[in-house]
Amino acid sequence: MLGLLLLIGAGSAQALPSFARQTGEECAACHVGGIGPQLTPHGQKFKIGGYLDGDSPDNWLLPVAVQGIVTSTHTDKGVPDGAAEGFKDNNNTVFQEGSLFLAGRYYGNVGGFVQETYSGVDHHWAWDNVDLRYARTLKLGGKDTIVGVSLNNSPTTQDPFNTLPAWNFPYVSSDLTPGYLGEPLLAGGLEQVVAGLTAYGYFDDWLYAELGTYHDLGGGFLRNVGLYREDRINLSGTAPYARLNIGHEFNHQMASVGLVAMNANVLSDPSSSDKDKYRDVGVDASYQFLGTRKHIFSLNSRYLHESQKLRATFAGSGADRSRHHLNEYNLNGSYYYLNTWGATVGLFGTSGARDATLYAPGDIEGSRTGKPDSRGVIYQVDWTPWGKEGSWMEPLANLRLALQYTMYDKFNGSSSNYDGAGRDASDNNTLMAFAWFAF
Amino acid sequence: MVRILKPRRSQPIARRAARVLAWILATSVMDAAWADVDKGADSFDSNCAECHSVAKTLKNKKGPSLFGVVGRTAASVPGFAYSDAMRAAGFAWTPDKLDAYIAAPKKLVPDGKMKFDGLDDAAERADLIDFLRQQH
Repeated sequence: MLGLLLLIGAGSAQALPSFARQTGEECAACHVGGIGPQLTPHGQKFKIGGYLDGDSPDNWLLPVAVQGIVTSTHTDKGVPDGAAEGFKDNNNTVFQEGSLFLAGRYYGNVGGFVQETYSGVDHHWAWDNVDLRYARTLKLGGKDTIVGVSLNNSPTTQDPFNTLPAWNFPYVSSDLTPGYLGEPLLAGGLEQVVAGLTAYGYFDDWLYAELGTYHDLGGGFLRNVGLYREDRINLSGTAPYARLNIGHEFNHQMASVGLVAMNANVLSDPSSSDKDKYRDVGVDASYQFLGTRKHIFSLNSRYLHESQKLRATFAGSGADRSRHHLNEYNLNGSYYYLNTWGATVGLFGTSGARDATLYAPGDIEGSRTGKPDSRGVIYQVDWTPWGKEGSWMEPLANLRLALQYTMYDKFNGSSSNYDGAGRDASDNNTLMAFAWFAF
Repeated sequence: MVRILKPRRSQPIARRAARVLAWILATSVMDAAWADVDKGADSFDSNCAECHSVAKTLKNKKGPSLFGVVGRTAASVPGFAYSDAMRAAGFAWTPDKLDAYIAAPKKLVPDGKMKFDGLDDAAERADLIDFLRQQH
């Protein structure tokens, strides 16, 4: 039933003091707003360059970092029987996740970002984002060209441009709210359950091209890294991935546009030779005004289209027909003052074809209309007091305190009584306060 | 009455040197007056601060500390791993050298490590150098 229910997830926080120790640079040099994961052009080059830059004498430790996120979540209407096992219907405060990182230059031209995360909701450790790289700089036509390979465990985890699903706004979401149906496979469906090997080149700071493939990891391996049997996505063969981005820096601004594509075949029923086929293509664009870093504006956007041929799901009576599609968009704009005070507005939405079996009714997370359409807006204000040169404990500590409000205009196909049990989309509106700290 | 003009005496070397020095000082004062330290600080924040610090603690980032850089011998900040080319340069960072370097780093030190294409605007370079002069 792949694609039926993809929780929005815990977001993708990333901003590591181990990088700051290695480079001698403050978090704000690489991250908009003083903490990650939204990258400045400087941060993008650090990532593309394999996390290798810097030989600061502050780097007296292994490239180890620690991150924690505490959330306090209120939904307009509580979730009967608890927002998750062991939690109240509403108004839950939880140490949502704690992560250990091994992130930075490991040896020579090999660097990486390896994250192991404890979920305070599931009470469970598992591997999280992994991006191991080899990179070096060559001269091509007299121009600097970074070439490298990335071994990673989620499509788009390796992407540096702030627009694709692994690192887009919101960077922190509550794990204690209902999730909506139907997001494209590229938007998190293969997160942490595959292995990808991609090769990339970044020519003269403006042209980025990447090609690679993703492979199934097998249930045994996933259990060994802390995932559950039901997390496995049984990929058939390899899933090719391609990425192209063209960027331009001018007058302390940066603009870029890009394309992304992935093809994946999934054996939804291992006893059958039928496959579910997913073809994802997307366009993205971003803009940053950096100036003197006193006032920073950024815009990030993407649009994904996924065509689906769900022959296996259809043959197994999991869908009324085999041909489907999903369209997904994410558009957000942020303003930061002194890399400390920030405000972000983000629009998001997913839509697809009606299918009363694939998107069946059900309390809270079902669809009365048989449609996967959801859309809404997220507002966030935040305060990031550290992460700048001269900050307290710099470069050893960082902190963000934030207030986030998510409003749903439509949820699982409808604004009112979307699940057939009387729940409205606005009942899932969520006010969340969170504290995000890193050492 | 015929006025007899006295032949001009040639100026002693010391007096010539004093006049040259006065001209240099006057030029420097004019430069300082024309350059804008605040604009220089903005230029530093926009172009340099990600990789360089002017903290008094001589903090090295991806690039070496620029605290006290004006007048300093190249490749002399403790604890920074300079390129062989910069170590071999041997010059002092006079305003002229800084101006040439900021305009085109790879032209002055072809095999240097600094990944910066250069600042074309001469007035902005003057502001920036004036800001750096204040950092000591």
